[in-house]
Amino acid sequence: MKVIGLADSELESSLRKAGIGMSVSEARSIATILGRDPTLAELFCYDAMWSEHCSYKSSRAVLREFLPTEGPNVVLGPVEDSGIVSIDDEWCVVISHESHNHPSQILPNEGAATGIGGIVRDVNCMGARVVATADPLRFGDPYGRESSRVRWVAEGVVDGIWQYGNALGVPVIAGDVVFSRCFDYNCLVNVVAIGVVRRDEIIRSRAPPGSGEKGYDVILVGKPTDSSGFGGVVFASDTLREEEEEANRGAVQIPDPFLKNVLFKANEDLFRLVREEGVEIGFKDLGGGGLTCASSEMGAAGGYGMELDLDMLHVAGEFPPEVLCIAETQERFLIIAPRELRERILRIYNEDWDLPNVYEGARASVIGRMTIHDRYIVRHRGEEVVNVPIKHLTGGIRYERAWRPRIRNLLEPAVKMPEDLNMVMLELLSSPNIASREHIYRYYDTEVQGNTVIRPGEADAGLIAPVRGKDFGIALSVDSNPFYGRISPYWGGATAVAEAMRNVAAIGATPSTLTDCLNFGNPEKPEAFWEFRESVRGLADAARNLWLKGYPDQPVPIVSGNVSFYNESPEGAVDPSPVIACVGIMKEISKAITMPLKESGDEVYLLGPRFDELGGSEYYRVIWGITGANVPVVRFPLERSMIYTVIDAVDREILRAAHDISNGGMAITAAEMCMLSDHGISIDISSLGDMRPDRLLFSESSGFIVEVVDGAEQEFVKIARSYNLNPVRIGRVSTGGIEIERDGKMLVRLDLEDARDAWSSGLREAMR
Amino acid sequence: MRIAVIQFPGTNCEHETLVAVKECGMDGEIFRWNRPEQELCEFDGYVIPGGFSYQDRVRAGVIASKEPVMATLREEAANGKPIIGICNGFQILVESGILPFGDGVRLALAQNVMIRGGEIVRRGYYCAWTMLRHDAEERRCSGSYILRRGEILSIPIAHAEGNLVSSDKKVIERLIEDDQIVFRYCSERGDIISEFPVNVNGSTENIAGICNPEGNVLGMMPHPERAFFAWQLPWKHPRVRGYGPGRIVFESMRRYIEERRL
Repeated sequence: MKVIGLADSELESSLRKAGIGMSVSEARSIATILGRDPTLAELFCYDAMWSEHCSYKSSRAVLREFLPTEGPNVVLGPVEDSGIVSIDDEWCVVISHESHNHPSQILPNEGAATGIGGIVRDVNCMGARVVATADPLRFGDPYGRESSRVRWVAEGVVDGIWQYGNALGVPVIAGDVVFSRCFDYNCLVNVVAIGVVRRDEIIRSRAPPGSGEKGYDVILVGKPTDSSGFGGVVFASDTLREEEEEANRGAVQIPDPFLKNVLFKANEDLFRLVREEGVEIGFKDLGGGGLTCASSEMGAAGGYGMELDLDMLHVAGEFPPEVLCIAETQERFLIIAPRELRERILRIYNEDWDLPNVYEGARASVIGRMTIHDRYIVRHRGEEVVNVPIKHLTGGIRYERAWRPRIRNLLEPAVKMPEDLNMVMLELLSSPNIASREHIYRYYDTEVQGNTVIRPGEADAGLIAPVRGKDFGIALSVDSNPFYGRISPYWGGATAVAEAMRNVAAIGATPSTLTDCLNFGNPEKPEAFWEFRESVRGLADAARNLWLKGYPDQPVPIVSGNVSFYNESPEGAVDPSPVIACVGIMKEISKAITMPLKESGDEVYLLGPRFDELGGSEYYRVIWGITGANVPVVRFPLERSMIYTVIDAVDREILRAAHDISNGGMAITAAEMCMLSDHGISIDISSLGDMRPDRLLFSESSGFIVEVVDGAEQEFVKIARSYNLNPVRIGRVSTGGIEIERDGKMLVRLDLEDARDAWSSGLREAMR
Repeated sequence: MRIAVIQFPGTNCEHETLVAVKECGMDGEIFRWNRPEQELCEFDGYVIPGGFSYQDRVRAGVIASKEPVMATLREEAANGKPIIGICNGFQILVESGILPFGDGVRLALAQNVMIRGGEIVRRGYYCAWTMLRHDAEERRCSGSYILRRGEILSIPIAHAEGNLVSSDKKVIERLIEDDQIVFRYCSERGDIISEFPVNVNGSTENIAGICNPEGNVLGMMPHPERAFFAWQLPWKHPRVRGYGPGRIVFESMRRYIEERRL
């Protein structure tokens, strides 16, 4: 395609006509490096590889500047498809976290399903067994201007998740859902997957040493390549506009959990083969950017070039070379392996697991070989259609984006004291952001694989015991509050980290690693980029200051993540949404605790002083329709002490229940501990200072409410004091309802049945 | 004593099912659908585990039921060997006609329909822990051989099509008369209530599991392998070491094989 000699306007129009999203200057720089006009296929390959989605061209500098990615437990930081941290000397957790926002807004079912399909491949390709997923979801206002579209998206996304995940056979053990008007035109569908692998059986997504010299095979396995998802990464790197919806549908991939299920089993045989043979292979899933992205990244990571022949590819029809290169056909993997293993590898996929008969056109094909030169060469019909320096293709480009604070005139309002706090409690319990998640999680197979110890709804985090014969468990939680992010992207980032860590601590697990999926607006706008930068700074500060337990001054490392920009429509951008996942390690699963109250008469303690922090709270939003300004902040030493106290107390087996304080404040937290339980709670807040009762009860300052084993109160207080905390005894588990009093005056008295009715109907109604 | 855990493309519960088999002192292995089916005859019993065989194409279980391995299993069933089909395995046994009477497709496992107060409150996929009442006579069925009539177990379900129906009323009557109804969904106290959530999927007569007339073949929607260890149970149960209620299904299979040999 002609680049050299064209005027800017001519080049611009010929790029757009061809369907290429890159800028004129980007196209020129490619022609300069090649010393000639690039081919159409080359431009498409560069367009995909240099897209925001693949190259992190806007975000990389910020991520490098702030994120702590190293720590004593890190085995593999954020350099490949997934991060890896150690559990013990033998076993590791593999984790990956991605978004599938744009596709899910356009085609909710397929979009959400493909999100899971991609993330589990990322984990599997490290040689790991995929053992759990979590789904953080953000939808628009179900009662707002776009209510029918919002409900259509929400229902489709949940259907896509269960239809894919259940069939694949990976349990959902965590997740969250937030509804807000800012997601009316841009839903957020994030997904986290975790796997387990032995440390000495990790497989890398790079061409292994010697593969160039020995001319290793490049083998593509899975679904036959078609045109689905062509241009997907470019589509994900732009703002959504309604008039382009039809065209964008073509950029959404088509997932197939059935084929994936069979592929995973065949992959296990591949892993076994290479272990037995003692050889190193390269193995990577095909995701954004398709064949070109997977193959060139593996080659470049190993320091080699490669030559591919598209005529050897198994395909689902006739397609031009640029489509075969970057289409995002799902359920495919790429293997770089010694030639001696060729026949045995092909047999695993094509005969033992019979791919051609399981799925029409699916198979394993040798499509090229590794070389020692530094070129990425692709042939089609005997012609060289791509011949570029491989590291130039994968190196991408960098932008220094400008940033400027977004000015919002948010004020702390003067609201009057509600006359009836019972009504306030019931309204909050039925808010779609607080109500029971049962309507959703009953669609998810939370039990498959038989490893589940704590399931959705039972506690703040899920827990699985994925290695039989071992006592340890892996806890998983996700968090992000867009209402805090709107007031302060910095504290939005920091509180997401703190809450995700509190969630795993609430069952007794020790936070071990974090991932971040950063969902923001258009980074070319300085305000949006400022929000991104501030959020990253906030979450990095929290990760650094909350410390890996047992290693003072060492961060809880962030080993994987994803940046999703352009979550923006002409109506505006989403509120800053840095979604955090936290993995915790539970040394002995038998000690883990859950949220519901267990024994009447047990004393209930509050950890965490109450501050006047109602900015972004459910109370302000639901009861008064305002955002406010006093956003909860993270007091790092205090936060750390609270988390450590709960972990130690669970380890000593002196807590029967724990729940972290977040949405709805301490009153809702206490009420939630009664919802699945047969017990009520009686609380007296007289000793908590003189803040007005509504502010005290509904402030979302961080903390925990815990039920202490009868007779162990002294020991619990002692542990807390050792961390310089003063836990406050606030009440008892009762046989009655939910009661809160102050100075002898009853503020709240709710029947359990009434509270449960409100709580259990809120989400069902919102999604009906 | 060797048990084959049958694996079709799309099966997804074979590993935890094999763990359960082995934990009960039986040898076992996962048997891939395209292995020579004659090799199946060497086993003493069979489990068809849960999953989405062949993607539930056409109907859940129908494609797998046409595989050569199922013809072999039918012969082995006639020889009296035990077969337990769990979830998708139950669907395959029904589609192959081995259940309920061995004479063709007489039942369907239709889409879940949750009914309360005369209204449909939900449809389709549902994952939850359920209570099951063992309704057959002791030693009636291979998979509940050592359970007494009326015993109650807590075992989870996870399926979209487990609503057992028949267009022929006589089929259900015969199941009742011949004591072929092995498990029914019940309340915590053991009462059979026809409404959701006790009847979790709308199944006729709250049926959760049935056996063939001879009793050696059991099909059940709930997943005993997911309730095999005490630590797998929901929060209300004390978190202890040891086994859960699902173990008795696999233990029954072992005892059934042992006693048949004598």
